[in-house]
Amino acid sequence: MANPTNNEVVKTNLHASKFSAEGFLGSDNRLPEEIIAADERTMIERGIELKKLVSLLKSAYEKAREALGVEIELRSGIIAVYYESMGRIPSPFPGDGVFEKGEVVITETQTGRQIILTPLAIHLIEKYHFFQGTGCRHRIDPAIAIELVG
Amino acid sequence: MESKKFSIRINDGERTFFAPAGESLLSVLFKNGILVPSACGGNGRCGFCRVKITDGAPDFTDSERSLISESDRLHRVHLSCQVRIESDLKIELPASTLNAKRFSGILEEKLLLTSDIVGLRIRLVNPEEIAFISGQYIQLRSPMYDGRESSIRAYSIASPPSDRNHVELNIRLVPNGLCSTWIFQHLQIGQKINLTGPYGDFHLSGSSAPAIFIAGGSGMAPFHSILHDLIGRKIRRDVAFFFGARTQADLFYVDELNRFMQENPWFQFIPALSNEPEDSDWKNERGLITDVVARYFPDCSKHEAYLCGSPGMIDSCLKVLTRNGMPKDKIYYDKFA
Repeated sequence: MANPTNNEVVKTNLHASKFSAEGFLGSDNRLPEEIIAADERTMIERGIELKKLVSLLKSAYEKAREALGVEIELRSGIIAVYYESMGRIPSPFPGDGVFEKGEVVITETQTGRQIILTPLAIHLIEKYHFFQGTGCRHRIDPAIAIELVG
Repeated sequence: MESKKFSIRINDGERTFFAPAGESLLSVLFKNGILVPSACGGNGRCGFCRVKITDGAPDFTDSERSLISESDRLHRVHLSCQVRIESDLKIELPASTLNAKRFSGILEEKLLLTSDIVGLRIRLVNPEEIAFISGQYIQLRSPMYDGRESSIRAYSIASPPSDRNHVELNIRLVPNGLCSTWIFQHLQIGQKINLTGPYGDFHLSGSSAPAIFIAGGSGMAPFHSILHDLIGRKIRRDVAFFFGARTQADLFYVDELNRFMQENPWFQFIPALSNEPEDSDWKNERGLITDVVARYFPDCSKHEAYLCGSPGMIDSCLKVLTRNGMPKDKIYYDKFA
């Protein structure tokens, strides 16, 4: 796909703003397009299509959201908990609208490895293949995500 | 040469003023003292600054299409920050928006209600009094701190309207949240706070139908205000208040609400815990708040419901209540959730 971050407004919005204290790039020194390319390579190496991963992430989010904060087991050794939050956050990409702020924390109980899902984070992956920069609270590392929800 | 001016007529002439061509409607409304809620400063990102334009509306922008539902667009709802003045306009605004004001206050009390919810008591200084309806909210502005930008967030008022000199809020700490982190970690007693409001049309209806209140977390706030208001004005109305939390540590205002229940036979308080250890001393309801509501009210066709909580909680409550016979138009909830 054409580089979706090649836009001055998007470049600004990806940094810390009045909507996101830490922005979407975290401590990552790479350009957004480099983050996207690297994560796309990971997906190819692991042999999973982005559409499939997004579907799994959405399904995990919805199951945990419906449990209203009660811990659920996605499969043996993988738990998910929904943490409520009021309010909405806009996408850094103009025209995408606003998204619920609630988080679903998925944890591998044996190792403690975690990913944190939000509707916006899943949307950014689905529409732009953008998993966010390393160091971001809401980066969904594709390698870990595949192992936790795949 | 002075630019051409157009008329902006609000609510059938309740207010009318003139604005220069090319300016944004949001900016014009602000200049005329009408504080339409906004969190993004007019960038078309937050979707708060909604107005209904009944005459003279331009085409919808891409931002408006992404933030306003098709149904609302059919009802001619626009984002005022996206509307450039290019003709005379007739617009409709809620009375609360028309009457909203800027306030500055001083923080008098800051109490940790649970591990992640703080209660603030703000004494209003300029102006010194606020008039609002229980259930309404204010917008609070956090200043720049630690290199972070100023932000605006909406919070329901927890205090009753009878206390015109104060505003109380229940605020949950959002991980990495701009405004809530400032409130938890930086805001000190005696510090100045800026807010605008009151806003919103979430309030108890005038009917006498028995009411079901359902809340979780900081969604307690509007109901705390409504209950104080009912009791203060000696209004008797059957109310069952379901409050969902994970464990006993996540409950607050419990002693006060239990006292309300003892003193007011029309009021029932039902806290329900979803993650309380089985061997604890908790003797009240356990399980998902929606399941508890369904057990108490298998038929709620004659009730009204009022909801305040996360979107997930609201969606689940809507399913349960409608399944148990409650008409959708009798279910009220905070739109900003």
